[in-house]
Amino acid sequence: MNNIFIFKTNIQTEEDQERVSTLLDADNLIDSWSVDKEDIDCVLRIVSDRITAEEIIFLINQVGYNCAELE
Amino acid sequence: MRTRDEHKEIAIREQAMEMIVNEGFDGLSMQKLAKAANVSPATIYIYYKNREDLLNQLFIEVHKTFSDLALKGFDPEFSLEEGLWLQWKNRLRFIMEYPTYFQFFEQFRNSPLINHKDLNIAEFKENMKLFVMNAIKRGEMSKMEPEIFWSLAYGSFYSLVKFHLQEKSMMGNDFKITDAKMKQVLKMVIKALKP
Repeated sequence: MNNIFIFKTNIQTEEDQERVSTLLDADNLIDSWSVDKEDIDCVLRIVSDRITAEEIIFLINQVGYNCAELE
Repeated sequence: MRTRDEHKEIAIREQAMEMIVNEGFDGLSMQKLAKAANVSPATIYIYYKNREDLLNQLFIEVHKTFSDLALKGFDPEFSLEEGLWLQWKNRLRFIMEYPTYFQFFEQFRNSPLINHKDLNIAEFKENMKLFVMNAIKRGEMSKMEPEIFWSLAYGSFYSLVKFHLQEKSMMGNDFKITDAKMKQVLKMVIKALKP
């Protein structure tokens, strides 16, 4: 069974998404991911059994975007 | 990390369907849905990636409910009259038991927002096709374009249902669908389809 992680981000535009996609696509710990750019919280959704929330936040922060777990 | 909860998923689905049917898809946001379903936005995102994903998953569920009910007790070897009668009865049951699903289905069956390739309609289609082919082979109906067949065989039925749902006849009185009225129409449809 896959774990699902939900984050609030500021990944708003197509360019923003492309920047994080380079990173997330290359990460083989991540099974699938998506960003809802229409939503006010620009929700990032990640499916993975092996990664932790902290690691994802670290990854996204690295490319210059905000990322916090959505409660 | 979050996990799925089937009860929550059903509650969110029913709420979303209500909202889309009553207020339209345009005004729907994940935030609005979360509020109405009394869950956090994060909970909605466990099940759906975005609005389009939500709409598609709802459509898949509605179509599955429809085709499971439509195929209940159905055998493509049935005679044209027997098979069509069961289809009408089963479809009427779907409309009466799942009125919101029916409205949703009608609203989005031809919508470009739905990814039709994600739908598993093979079993339903195969049964309907086989049923018609058998009827042609037995000489119960002539060969015709599917749209012409549908208009006669199902268009008549759905028109009756619409009058029933609007609770109006053409003269402004109450119109109720009954087995007797359906049988009356069925007889005429069977006659019209004959080669």
